[in-house]
Amino acid sequence: ARFHGNPRSGRWEPAGPRPPLAAMFADGTAPGADVESLWRSARTARCEAKSCQTEQISTVETAAQSHTSQDAAVQTDQSKDALQDFQQEVQVDYTSLLSFLQRVEDAVIKELNKNWKSRAFDGFEVNWTDQNEAVLCLHTLSYPEAQDQNLQVTSVSWNATGSVVACSYGRLDGGDWSTEKSYVCTWNLDRRGLNPQHPDLVVDVPSSVMCLAFHPSQPSLIAGGLFSGELVVWDTSRTEDPVIWRTGMTDDTHTDPVYQVNWLPDAKHRNNSRLLSVSTDGKILVWREERDGRLALAEGFAMVAQQIPRSTWMKKFAGGEAAVGVTSLSFSHFDHRVFIVGVEGGYSLKCSTAAETLALHPTRSSVPLRAPAELAFSPHGGPVYSVSCSPFHRQVNLFLSCGTDGQVHLHSMLQTQPLISLQLSKKYLFCVRWSPVRPLVFAAASGEGNCNEHFCFIGDVYLFDFEKSSQKPAISIKQAAGECPVYCLEFNIKQTQLLAAGDATGTVKVWQLSSDFTEQGPREVNRLEQLASEITD
Amino acid sequence: AEVEETLKRIQAHRGVVATMVVNAEGIPIRTTLDNSTTVQYAGLLHQLTMKARSTVRDIDPQNDLTFLRIRSKKHEIMVAPDKEYLLIVIQNPCE
Repeated sequence: ARFHGNPRSGRWEPAGPRPPLAAMFADGTAPGADVESLWRSARTARCEAKSCQTEQISTVETAAQSHTSQDAAVQTDQSKDALQDFQQEVQVDYTSLLSFLQRVEDAVIKELNKNWKSRAFDGFEVNWTDQNEAVLCLHTLSYPEAQDQNLQVTSVSWNATGSVVACSYGRLDGGDWSTEKSYVCTWNLDRRGLNPQHPDLVVDVPSSVMCLAFHPSQPSLIAGGLFSGELVVWDTSRTEDPVIWRTGMTDDTHTDPVYQVNWLPDAKHRNNSRLLSVSTDGKILVWREERDGRLALAEGFAMVAQQIPRSTWMKKFAGGEAAVGVTSLSFSHFDHRVFIVGVEGGYSLKCSTAAETLALHPTRSSVPLRAPAELAFSPHGGPVYSVSCSPFHRQVNLFLSCGTDGQVHLHSMLQTQPLISLQLSKKYLFCVRWSPVRPLVFAAASGEGNCNEHFCFIGDVYLFDFEKSSQKPAISIKQAAGECPVYCLEFNIKQTQLLAAGDATGTVKVWQLSSDFTEQGPREVNRLEQLASEITD
Repeated sequence: AEVEETLKRIQAHRGVVATMVVNAEGIPIRTTLDNSTTVQYAGLLHQLTMKARSTVRDIDPQNDLTFLRIRSKKHEIMVAPDKEYLLIVIQNPCE
């Protein structure tokens, strides 16, 4: 087309010779439109540097000095006859003193004898302070989402300061395969706005968490053992991703669920702790932290049927190198190299970390596994689910073990037969723990729900006091209505009147114990020693 | 000498932890405990004995205090009062 514009007034007047028609529409490429990126620069673009300064602050320097000074010293004079003065000041008339003593001696001796034989005050206790008479349930904590998925509380743990309780959700009766997600929830009980249905922190875990342990001195680290055999350490103070270390699935990790995890003080590096994990594949592994967030194997032990002493009892394990599944472990409080393990075969074994012999374990691992067992104690009628070493008794280390036969055995580490065997219930006992305050008290968690014809022990958490009775529990606490096994319990070391117990309905109950259980009696440690020696004799 | 023997006899009795003799002013004369503890016991128990005696006599002027026993969680303290002296014996009750 042509423009019939006025050639002279110029909007359309071409600058040079008019281009040929065909060339008016030509192919061309136009440079792309560019928008400069404002990322990072946008901030600076919008920022302005400003500074401000206060006005000059006036300062003055002055000095003061005393005009005159004087030295003076004061000292008491040591009197040489200090003690003797004390006695000599008193003019003693020996004859009257003697007659006085002769007068009263008989009466006093009579009273002393009466007192020695008297039973009048047996069991008489006076309450001067506000005593907590009964055991109260302070808090009932739960996580509704986990409860909707019918998850159970598999483990509870108190943190180093005693104010946070954590629980892990999973399934204990899941069988061999479990790909269920689980949760680790923490509640801070000292916080004012505590909502029992709303944990302060919920960590999603892809596999079922079977056991938990808070770090003994750092209040925010918590370690958990998973159904898949891995170990994970979470830092609850980090908000984005609480996982800080994990073992991952390597050749070294357990091939069975980890049933117990403990923190060990590291001998070489005081600050770091090591993790110890126990699993039914027979291995007890000690992990150390590596820099890239991995946990690497530092040491390991393996329990093999052949290498357990007194193998006459292990006739069941005819297959020579059968691994012996370890379900629980407890370190002695007095000798840190000695630990007690409970195994699936029903034995408790005394082991030592200083063992040298290599284990005949079938699987390979990066660190040579040693056989730690030194002494086998007489067995329970079923797998041992929990062992606990007493923190009190020095000479004769005592420990408790409980298992599926419903019995609790009190053992001394020096002899294989138990000191006392208590049949607490007909159902399984899942957990037993010594009280951190009273040497004669322990608590046991059972699967017993209702009253049985033979045992009138209604309840799920039993508190035993050897001072009161060595036959029946001092208190039975019913955790939940109906048949609901209690799987785990832990005493709070800092606030000794609290006891946390987790059960199969997915609730954690924090119980406040009555003062009987939190105040040490006058000579309880001696009483414990006496108990131990009475029975050994 | 006989004084010492008598005191030894009392001290040797089953469960006796300590024995002491205090005069009318509350000053210890003989003791089996260390100095500071003795002085503490002497002062406190002397006052308590006087108070107990005045309580008994206030209720019945014909009556008088013959023996004072204090039972605590850990032991039993026995005081035999007199015009001039006090005999204090601390015993661990039977267990």
